[in-house]
Amino acid sequence: MNSDRQELIDQSHLATLGTLVAGVAHELNTPLGAIHSNHDVIRRALLKLEEILEDEVVTPDELVGVRRIVKAMDGVLRTNGIAVDRMVKVVESLGTFGRPDRAEVDRVDLHEGLEGTLAVLGAELEKMHVVKEYGDLPIIECFPNRVNQIFMNLVHNAVQAMEPGGTLTIRTSVEDDDVQVEIRDTGKGIAEDDLAHIFDPGFTTKGRRVGMGLGLAISRQIVDHHGGQISAESTPGEGSVFRVRLPLLLPANAREDGESHEPA
Amino acid sequence: MSSSTVMIVDDEEIIVGAIQSFLELETDHKVLPFTSPIRALETLEGEPIHMIVADFMMPEMDGVTFLTQARQRRPEATRVLLTGYADKQNAIRAINEAGLYHYLEKPWDNEALKMIIRNGVERSTLFVELERRVTELAEANHELTGFRERLIQTFL
Repeated sequence: MNSDRQELIDQSHLATLGTLVAGVAHELNTPLGAIHSNHDVIRRALLKLEEILEDEVVTPDELVGVRRIVKAMDGVLRTNGIAVDRMVKVVESLGTFGRPDRAEVDRVDLHEGLEGTLAVLGAELEKMHVVKEYGDLPIIECFPNRVNQIFMNLVHNAVQAMEPGGTLTIRTSVEDDDVQVEIRDTGKGIAEDDLAHIFDPGFTTKGRRVGMGLGLAISRQIVDHHGGQISAESTPGEGSVFRVRLPLLLPANAREDGESHEPA
Repeated sequence: MSSSTVMIVDDEEIIVGAIQSFLELETDHKVLPFTSPIRALETLEGEPIHMIVADFMMPEMDGVTFLTQARQRRPEATRVLLTGYADKQNAIRAINEAGLYHYLEKPWDNEALKMIIRNGVERSTLFVELERRVTELAEANHELTGFRERLIQTFL
C-alpha cells in the first residue's frame, strides 16, 4: 500500500475517532444527568429521614413526609436502573465497535456493527427517525473495524444531509452471493454532476455535505479491499441512498495486505 | 407557595423521571411529566400551568419550537430550556426568539433548578395577577365611560 493512501486512511481514522468520542460523550451525558440528580435526591431524602427520626417519635405529619420520601425513592430507583442499563449498553457497543484486541479479520454479523454505529452516533440521530429493515444476513468474513468505519461514514453523512425530522433507513439483504447494506436518507440529495465524483479522494461539495469527500473515498477503498462494491443514487431535494455490497469471504490476497499495515 | 403546576418535557424518560422525583420530594408543586412535546401542547390547552421546563433536542419537535408554541397557548407560563449540548449559540437564539426565562445545561444542579422554578412560578403568578388587574382596570374604565356618557345625556 502506498503512503498517500495510508495517510488518507489515518486521517479518516482520526476523523472517525472524533465523531465517536463526541457521540459517546453525549450518549453518556443523559444517563449521567439523571444519576447525578438522583444522587442528590437520595442525599436530601436521607437528611429528611434523619430529621424525622431524631426525636425517636414519628408524628402523623412526619409520616406524610416519609411516604413522600418512599415515593421519590421509588422513582429514583426506577430511573437509575434505566440510566445504568443505558451506560452499560454504550460501553458494550463501544466494545463491539472498535475492539483493539479483535483479530483484524473476523467472521461477523454486520447487524452488530450497524447497531454499534447507531449507538455511538445516537446524539446525531436524536432529531431523526430511524427505520431498520434488517434481513437475514449470513455471517461474513471481513475486517470488522474497517467495515464499521464505512457504516459510521455513511450514517454520519446521511444525518448531515438531513433537516431535523428526516428519516434514516437502514436495509440489509442478501443479493446474489453478496450481503448488501443500504443506507437511505431523506436529505437534500446530491447534484447529478457531483454524484460521479463523490468517491474521489479529496472531493467535497463545499458546505453542502461537510467532510463527505474523505470519508467516502476511504469507504470505497475499504470496500474495494474486501472485493465488494459501493454505489450511490440521489435525487436532489428528496434524498440519497448508498449501497455497500460485500462478498461472504474475503478475496485471498486481501488478508495479508490488510494485516501488513495495521498494528496489532 | 401552594400547589402550582410544573410541566416537564423531555423525550428521555429518565430525565423527566429524575426531575419529577426531585420536585416531588422537595416541593409541593404538581408535576406534569411528558416525553412527547406534541402531547404536552395538547395538555396546555386545558390546564393552567405556571412553569414549563423543556429539553432542547427532541425528535418530534425541538425545545425552542415547543416553547414558542407553548407561549402562544399559555403566555403566563414561565419557560425554561434544558439542553444536553453546551450549545450557547442556540440557547441565546432561543432566549431571544421564544422569550425564555432561563436556560439550564445538563447535568443540572438541583438547587439551581429549585430556585429557578420557585422564581418562575412566582413570576407566573404575578403575571396572572397583573392581567387580572389590567382587566379590572379596563372594565372599570369602560363603566366610567358609560357613566360619563349617561351623565352628559341626562344634563345636556
